[in-house]
Amino acid sequence: MGIILDMLTTAAILFTVATGLMIILGVMKLINFAHGAFLMVGGYTAYVVTQLGWNPWLAIPCAAIIGLLLGMVVEQIIVRPLYSRPLDAILATWGLGIILGQVVTIVFGREVQFVETPIRGAVEFLGQSYSIYRLLLLGAGAAIGAALTALLYFTRFGLNARAVIMNEELARGLGIDSTRVRLLTFGLGAGLASMAGAMITPLISVDPTMGLPWLVNSFMLVLVSGVSIPGLMIASLMLGGAQVVVSTYISPILGGLTIVVLAAVILRIWPRGLAND
Amino acid sequence: MNTKQLLRQIPIAGVMGLIAALAPAQAEEPIKIGVPVGLSGANSVVAPSVVQSTELAVAEINAAGGVLGRELEVVVADDGSGAQGAQKAFQSLVYQQEVDVLISMETSAARNAGLPIVNRAGVPYIYTSFYEGRSCSPWMYVNAWVPEQQVAPVVDHFTGEEGAETFFLIGSDYAFGRGMLEFTRQYIEEKGGEVLGEEYLPMGGTDWTAIISKVKSAGPDALVTSTAGGAPNVTLTKQLRAAGVEIPYGNLAVDEGTARNMGEDAAGIYISASYITKIDSPENRRFMQAMEDHFGDEAKTPNELSVPQYEAVYLYKEAAEQAGTTEAQAIIDALADVSYDGPRGTIRMDKQRHATLTMYLAQVQPDGGIELIRSFQNVDPGEQCPNL
Amino acid sequence: MTDDATVLPAAKADTTAGRSRNDLHYLARCILVAVGVLAIAPFVLDFYAMNILVRALLLGVLALTVDMLWGYTGILTFGQSAFFGIGAYACALMFTHFGFGHGFAVLALVLGILAAVAVGLLVGWLAFYHGASPLYASIVTLALPIVLTQVVYSGGTFTGSSSGLSGFPTYYWSLTTWLWTAGGLLIVVTSLAWLFVRSDMGRILVAIRENETRCAYLGIPVSRIKILLMAAMGGLGAVAGFGYASFSNVVAPELTGFLLGTELLIWVALGGRGTVVGPVFGAILIDVSSSYLSGSMPFVWKLFIGVAFVLVIVSLPQGLTPVVTRFWRRVSGRKPQAAPPPRLTAAPPRHAVDDGRTPLSVREVHRNFGSLQVLQGIDFQVGRGELVSLVGPNGAGKTTLIRCLADGLERTGGDIVVHGNDLARRAPARCVALGIGRKFQKANVFATLTVAECLQVARYSLDPMSPWTRASELRLPASALRIVEETGLKDSLSVEARHLSHGLKQALELAMVLSLEPSIVLLDEPTAGLTRTERERIGAILTSLVREEGLSILLVEHDLDFVRQISSRVIVLHQGRLVLDGSVEEVVDSELVREIYAGTHYRGEEAEAS
Repeated sequence: MGIILDMLTTAAILFTVATGLMIILGVMKLINFAHGAFLMVGGYTAYVVTQLGWNPWLAIPCAAIIGLLLGMVVEQIIVRPLYSRPLDAILATWGLGIILGQVVTIVFGREVQFVETPIRGAVEFLGQSYSIYRLLLLGAGAAIGAALTALLYFTRFGLNARAVIMNEELARGLGIDSTRVRLLTFGLGAGLASMAGAMITPLISVDPTMGLPWLVNSFMLVLVSGVSIPGLMIASLMLGGAQVVVSTYISPILGGLTIVVLAAVILRIWPRGLAND
Repeated sequence: MNTKQLLRQIPIAGVMGLIAALAPAQAEEPIKIGVPVGLSGANSVVAPSVVQSTELAVAEINAAGGVLGRELEVVVADDGSGAQGAQKAFQSLVYQQEVDVLISMETSAARNAGLPIVNRAGVPYIYTSFYEGRSCSPWMYVNAWVPEQQVAPVVDHFTGEEGAETFFLIGSDYAFGRGMLEFTRQYIEEKGGEVLGEEYLPMGGTDWTAIISKVKSAGPDALVTSTAGGAPNVTLTKQLRAAGVEIPYGNLAVDEGTARNMGEDAAGIYISASYITKIDSPENRRFMQAMEDHFGDEAKTPNELSVPQYEAVYLYKEAAEQAGTTEAQAIIDALADVSYDGPRGTIRMDKQRHATLTMYLAQVQPDGGIELIRSFQNVDPGEQCPNL
Repeated sequence: MTDDATVLPAAKADTTAGRSRNDLHYLARCILVAVGVLAIAPFVLDFYAMNILVRALLLGVLALTVDMLWGYTGILTFGQSAFFGIGAYACALMFTHFGFGHGFAVLALVLGILAAVAVGLLVGWLAFYHGASPLYASIVTLALPIVLTQVVYSGGTFTGSSSGLSGFPTYYWSLTTWLWTAGGLLIVVTSLAWLFVRSDMGRILVAIRENETRCAYLGIPVSRIKILLMAAMGGLGAVAGFGYASFSNVVAPELTGFLLGTELLIWVALGGRGTVVGPVFGAILIDVSSSYLSGSMPFVWKLFIGVAFVLVIVSLPQGLTPVVTRFWRRVSGRKPQAAPPPRLTAAPPRHAVDDGRTPLSVREVHRNFGSLQVLQGIDFQVGRGELVSLVGPNGAGKTTLIRCLADGLERTGGDIVVHGNDLARRAPARCVALGIGRKFQKANVFATLTVAECLQVARYSLDPMSPWTRASELRLPASALRIVEETGLKDSLSVEARHLSHGLKQALELAMVLSLEPSIVLLDEPTAGLTRTERERIGAILTSLVREEGLSILLVEHDLDFVRQISSRVIVLHQGRLVLDGSVEEVVDSELVREIYAGTHYRGEEAEAS
């Protein structure tokens, strides 16, 4: 039972962290290598919020807003000129990640910061003592998935975004302001990343390089997912689950490499991941 | 060393050489102490405190008339906390700055990268960071702890006062993590305890989920961890607490300052160190006061890494005075004999280039404070460099 | 996802330069200057600077391999550090555990290169297969250093884990010797790379970067070339790593890591990708200045590098080298000398094979996308000297059918036989070997290559290409030559393809396809967007090709008048089925075709029609 909960909660955390990257890739066909840096921005927002003595729960909405604003600024300065050069966009956003990381280092220092945890300890769940916060993240992951689906399918923005995904030229011909869609999408993606960063601070440490392992894992998951919300859920369950299984039964060291290696193999066999026909 | 200095030196060096050759030395040249340290990279968090304690020691010694009538001068070089940077730093210090001695706290990778340069050039080198042990060079002395010294207090306390019989060990997969836990396992088994599991995560790995579940299902009496510093250590502690693991927990990789910052999550953790700020001795009180007087608000909290650095400068002074020269081989010979009464007590590096130390077992309190549980006098470093 | 390295003007300067005496003189002068600088350096530099420079020179070699892969061929690699690490660890492990001496050194170097080449082949095999997305190569090269670093960490005392290995016996040569060794290696490697990228083979790399699909359909074994390049650059990276370890006497996991891999990209981007010397200087200058500055201002320095990197990627994608070159030209008043284009000559005539076997026969071909049947039960033949037009409304499956004929992996079922040979599951490049040439609907040429170079690239499978020199003569079959001459391409041989008019681009692509000397030519709307005169000229050429050289042509066309003018037979596709196959008169005037085009035809009537 414990291992099932580990698998589910690991998958939920991976899903939560990867959604921001996926939204941007889905709509903008662009890989945002600053994803890890946005995650870090969320972590530091949580740090500042708790340093100000505010309620730790406030860190999550604050991080989302700061990520959104930051994303929208960055989109206009760095990302917009690179729409037609997707591989260059990877590099430019990686450079952006370096910049954000160094600015944070200069302001806060390189050391690990400590963020107050909103809730700690374990509860009895299905006859098992289990971390409350991880269980909450399980719910949060599901909620984010549902909210994003609703956003894409029941709002004007979602309709426009889906039109841009399918055929950007046609969408523009129909009067959809695709530049605006891209602006909002990048903001949304950055906001989600930043929010995820704040959400996982109770489990991880806040430091200038905290985003890197998450970036690599998210990148792999999103590609395996075939860029869809249910796909990402399945990919997180599959690869996150595999990581837990390998860590538990074989070796945690191999477990740490599971997602990267498995994703490379899966994508070799099914280049479009779970979106294969 | 900063850029300005460097730029100034390039054109001036030639002129200086000329002057030195023509005129007899007016005043004695200062004795140069090279300090390669990780101003950037992983060690950048503790490096400032190490630089400060070096500066304090040098200032004190110079105020009291210097060494052999000469002033001491500190030359700091960034080693980037890694091998590549360390090489550059050591080369710059040894060959460009021509320092008389190297005194530094560094990562093992940086130390290993620097040692070949030290050996080739024959410069005395005092290493002031705790490490996994058994690094030997005819030119190196170590005044910080090795696993033999750090592990015993934690395990002894757990098997004694806490009555623990079964242990679980968790670490990061790198030289220090493996080295510490392998020694811990041996020591536990010698003491009749049982190790239920020994698990590692890749260096830098921060998702401890599966390992924590293993801990919970194994149900040990106590936990000993030795991870990489920074993120891996912090995440492990947080995730253990989030998972509700409340057994006695000895963390071999956490220092007093970090533990204090971690707040509630760190409460209850046992740490074992050769220095804690709570040491109640006149030397430590004087040292803490001197730090405050010298640096004021800028003073970094003294710690397990900065204090050995401070003491090492004094050990060098003693050695130079005993040898009556700064000549390298004479210093190396003298370093084995001299001792210094510092904040950590009397330090003498006479055990195969390592030092017998007093170790302190402390526990982090819910308010972030540290409570001294027990001290262990004269803990021997064991067989470190039998060939030297 | 297609990378738009296509619009990089980076290749501009060198694409126009042919191999000439001038070129070699220029190279010789550069080498002379470099050797001179290297000879003087030990007498000017201090000990510290020398040490740093030796390392930077070796990293320069590594940066060069990244430029070959990324700058020239368009493979965005994060993993060159892994090969560097393999070479470095080969050296350290050998000297630490097995012994030291000339024999051991050579053995370690050879083993290091072999290991790196093997890993390079494995990575290449994983990353480069027909249809792989360019992103996948980035994924594999990202995974490689992550896995390798962990292997080093887990290696315990054998690899030294996190502490690395150091203090092993090595060559304690004087710094001057090391500087000359490393500098010599860099000069040799850079010169060879410079010659290579300017050679005919080097143009192939650029062609792959610009348009991989077009390359595959020109019969260029793209995957094999990329795999071999990856392995070769891996081996070279290992040589640099070996030098690094034996000089510095230290290896550590960071040498194999992903972060060094990304740093390399930064150096190459700042220096100027696709310029050979730019990345080398980028690596040397940034590494050396980091050594001097990162100690005094570690965070600000890295911030500065980050900002510079983003600025260059966004607004100066070709890096700083072209800026410097332009400035130098203005100062020195020297103009880039475009080498004259190669002389056009006629390839010996080689008429389409008349082996009595049907050039193209298609049986029961179908193609499904999921549950959607795009083609069902297609059956037809194209004989020698026939020009068959394929007509039908949008979405009838015409382009899909063309694709099935040119790529054996495309169809879901059915047989395609070309001159008696089963097409089987051949990838496009191997279909070309059977005699199939395909022209795309949208003009598909190599944007930054000149017209002459585009045509040269198309001759890859017929005329051997030198990896060192530039051919002075371009051999084209009569048909291609005729297009080049009649359309006026002849006067634009030194013009980059992207500057051509739409009509000329179409003509160029057709000429490229004909340069393959195919026996079956597949043309997808070759006249779309052309003027009336252009269209008639193409039509005349096509009909004469069929008549005089016995070519078989299958042509997708919308313009029924044009079809009527040139076709010998017409096939009608509708909703994925072949509904009519007959002479021009039978088809064009049939009721069915009129209905299909008027949109009044329904599925139910198909049975009657077929």
